[in-house]
Amino acid sequence: MPVEAIAHGLAVLADPMALAAAFLGLAAGIVVGALPGLTATMAVAVLAPFTFFMDATVGIPFLLGIYKGAIYGGSIPAITINTPGTAAAAATAIDGAALARQGLGRKALEMSLVASVVADLLATLVLIFVAAPLASVAIGFGSPDFTMLYLFALVMIAGVSGSSAAKGAFAVALGVLLACVGFDPMSGASRLTFGVIDLWGGISLVPLLIGMFALSEILVQAERLGREKLAQVRVEMSAAGITRGEVRGAMPTILRSSGIGAFLGALPGLGAEVSCWLAYGMAKRRSRDPAQYGKGSLEGVAAAEAGNNAVCPAALIPMMVFGIPGDTITAVLLGAFMAQGLLPGPLLFEQHGPVLYGFFAILLVTNAMLLVFGLGAIRYLRHITAIPPGVLYPSVIALCFAGAFAVNNAVFDWWIMLAGALLGYAMRKADVPIPPLVIAMLLTPGLENSLRQSLTLSDGSLLIFVTEPISATLLAVVAGIVGFLGWRSLSTPRPSENQQGA
Amino acid sequence: MTMRSTTSLAIGAVLMLGAPAPLAMAAEFPEKPITFVTPYPPGGSHSLHAGIITTVAEPYFGQPMISVIRSGGGGAVGATEVSKSGADGYTVLFGDPTINSLRPQVEDLPYTTEDFIPVARINYSPAVFVARADAPFDDLASMIAYAKENPGDLVYSNDNVNGFTYTVFELLKMNTDTDMKGIVYGGGGPAVQKLLGGETMAYAGAPSVVGEHIKAGTLTGICTTDFERWESLPDVPTCGELGEEIIFHFWRGVLVPAGTPDDVVAKLSAGFEELVKDEGFLRLIGRINSRVDFLGAEAFGALMAEEQAQLKAVYDNLN
Repeated sequence: MPVEAIAHGLAVLADPMALAAAFLGLAAGIVVGALPGLTATMAVAVLAPFTFFMDATVGIPFLLGIYKGAIYGGSIPAITINTPGTAAAAATAIDGAALARQGLGRKALEMSLVASVVADLLATLVLIFVAAPLASVAIGFGSPDFTMLYLFALVMIAGVSGSSAAKGAFAVALGVLLACVGFDPMSGASRLTFGVIDLWGGISLVPLLIGMFALSEILVQAERLGREKLAQVRVEMSAAGITRGEVRGAMPTILRSSGIGAFLGALPGLGAEVSCWLAYGMAKRRSRDPAQYGKGSLEGVAAAEAGNNAVCPAALIPMMVFGIPGDTITAVLLGAFMAQGLLPGPLLFEQHGPVLYGFFAILLVTNAMLLVFGLGAIRYLRHITAIPPGVLYPSVIALCFAGAFAVNNAVFDWWIMLAGALLGYAMRKADVPIPPLVIAMLLTPGLENSLRQSLTLSDGSLLIFVTEPISATLLAVVAGIVGFLGWRSLSTPRPSENQQGA
Repeated sequence: MTMRSTTSLAIGAVLMLGAPAPLAMAAEFPEKPITFVTPYPPGGSHSLHAGIITTVAEPYFGQPMISVIRSGGGGAVGATEVSKSGADGYTVLFGDPTINSLRPQVEDLPYTTEDFIPVARINYSPAVFVARADAPFDDLASMIAYAKENPGDLVYSNDNVNGFTYTVFELLKMNTDTDMKGIVYGGGGPAVQKLLGGETMAYAGAPSVVGEHIKAGTLTGICTTDFERWESLPDVPTCGELGEEIIFHFWRGVLVPAGTPDDVVAKLSAGFEELVKDEGFLRLIGRINSRVDFLGAEAFGALMAEEQAQLKAVYDNLN
C-alpha cells in the first residue's frame, strides 16, 4: 500500500512551487543552523504562521526543509570554528574541529555531509515503510523506561566526551545542578532562583551554549593570539576531499548511527541532541581505532552527524501517528500541520494519505538537494578556517550577542551568555569537557520528570525500575558501563591529551 | 558562502525577530506595534492561536502585532513580565484561567489577579474526560464505581499542577468523594502518550487534543465539562447530563497590565471584536478545530470575577 501511495504522492513533485519552497527552506535552514544562537525551533516557530495561508503542499515542505537544513547546518561552524551551531552538533565539533585544525576541514565537512544525507535517507525510508509499527513500540515506553534511558544517555556522555570519565561525570553533575534552577516542574515552587525573576523560567540553554562554546573558544584564542603573531597560527589547508575508501570505511558506523538516531527519534522526548552522543559513544566503543577519536577521526564525525540527522524524519513518526511531538520543533510542526487541516493522530494516514506521501517524496528529494547544495557550498565554507582571526572572531562575537538576544528577546540572556563564557573558559583551562554539562542541562528536566512520575506510580518504591523489563535491561547496561569505566580508570594510566583545549 | 553574507543574513533575521517597525504618524493609540505575549512554549494550542491572531491583526489595529513567546514556569514567567511592563496597551498577555484566575490565588507568584485588566475573550474549550479503550471502565458511572471500589488505583494523566486537567479532576474527586492518583506529565502531549501507552487509565483534555483519538476509538469519551455537548463530539455527553455538575471553561483571552487607560482598553477590545470576524481568521481557526466565543472587556471581566471566586471556593474547600 505505501508504494502505491508514494506513486500518488510523487505527483506533488510535479509542482515546481513545492520543490522551490523545499529548496528555499533547506537553504534558509542551513544558514540558521550554521549561525550559533539561531535555532531551527526558532526559525520554524517564526516562519510557521506565514505558511498558514499557503497551500499545504508548499507550506509544509518549506518548514520540513528548514528543519533538515538546520540540523545539518549546525555541523558547519562545529567543524570550521569549533562552535556547534546547534546543541545537536556538539559531538560533531570534537573530531570535526580537530580535523580542521590539521587542515583537513574539507574532508570533515564532506564526511559530515555524506553521513547526514545517508542517515536522513535511511530514516526517511523507515518513516515511510515502518512508521506505524515503530511508533507502537515507542509508545509502550513508560516513565521508568524513560528514566533509565536518560540515565543511560548521561552516563554515556560522561564516559566518552573527555579525557577522563571523572571529569566528564563532574561536568554532568554541574549541568544537572544548573538545570534545577527555575520552577519545580511538578509543584511550581521556585528553586535556586535567589529572588531573580528572570531565573524563574530556568537558565536558558541557547545563550549558555553560545557563551560556553563560542565565546569561551574566542577567549582561549585571544589569549593565545596575544602571545603569537597572527601569521603563525595559519593552518596549511589541504584541498583534498574525502575518498571513496574513506566513505566505505565509515559506512558501518553511519548505518549503526542511523539506526540509533531513527529509534531515538521515534521515542517522544529524546531529540537529536541525545542521539548524536549515543551514536558517537557507540562508534568509539566499536571502532578499531578508538584512540583516534577526539584527535580528528573521520569516523567520529560520521557517527555524530548520522546520529543527529536520522532523528529528523523519525521524530515525525510519533508526531504524525499519535499527534505527540517528540521535541519542540516537531511541536511547532504539529501546529503547522493542524493549521493546514491535517490533524495529526491515528486517522491522519487514512484521511490524507496521498498528501503525506507527497511530503515523504519531497523529503527524499530534499536529500538529493542537500547533497548537491552542500558539496557546492563546502568549496567556500572551508575557507572560513582561513579567515584571519582578527576578522573572524569579532564577527563571531557580534553574532553571539545577536543570537543570544534573539532567543527570548531578553537582555538577561546576555548575562547568562557571559557567565557561560567565563565558566567555559575555566573548564577548558581545567581540561573539563563542556559538552556533558550542556547535554546534562538539556536532559535533566526529562530525567527528573520521568523519575518522579515513576515514583508517583510506584508510591515511592524504587523496585519499579527493576520490575519493568525495558527499564531493568537499561539499568543493567548502565551498571555495566559504570563498572567498565571505573575499572578502566583504575587500571590504565591517566591519558594526557584532551580534545577540548584549542 | 562568504562571511559577509552570513552576517547580513543574521542581522536581517534579528531585525525581523525583534526590532520595532518605523513609527506611524497617527497621534493616538496605537502609535507603534503591539507586542502579543504567549506565556507557553511553541507548539501548544496557545501559540497556535497566537500565530493566527497576530498574522491577521494589522488591519484591525492600524499597527502590526508582534508575537513573542515567553515561556517558563507553566506560564508564570510571561505573565509576570507583562504585569511589570508599562501600562500603555503596547504589551498584551494571551492568558487563560490557570495563570490568571487560579494560580495567583493559590500560589505565591510575583503577580496577583488584580495586576491585570481583561480585554477580550477569544474563545474557550471545555475539558473532555476520556478513558483508554481497554480501561476497566467506559462511562462516568463505571469510572466512579471503579474509583470507589479501588481507592487510589485509578491512575490518570495530569498536565500541570493547578492546570486544566488537574482542576477538573479535583472537581470530580470532590463531587464524587473518590480517591484517584494523578501523574504530572507537564503537558497534553506527553499526558496522552502515557495514556495510550498504558501507564495511566484516564485523562481530561481539550477537544483538539483528544478528539481524533475518540473518533478513532483508541480513547473513550466519558463526558465534557460544558453546558452543552461539543459540536465536533456530538456523541460525548456533558457531565451534567450524567448527574455530575462539572463546568470548566478553559478560555483563551487577552489581558493588559492594571493601570492601562480605559480608552486604550476599549480600543483594543473593539479591535479584537472585529478581528475575530476576519474571514482568514475564521478559516484558520476552523482548521485547528477551534472556534470563536468572543466576549468584550466588560462581559469578560464579569466572567473572570465569577470564575476567580468559584475557584477560590473550591481550593479553600480542598485544604
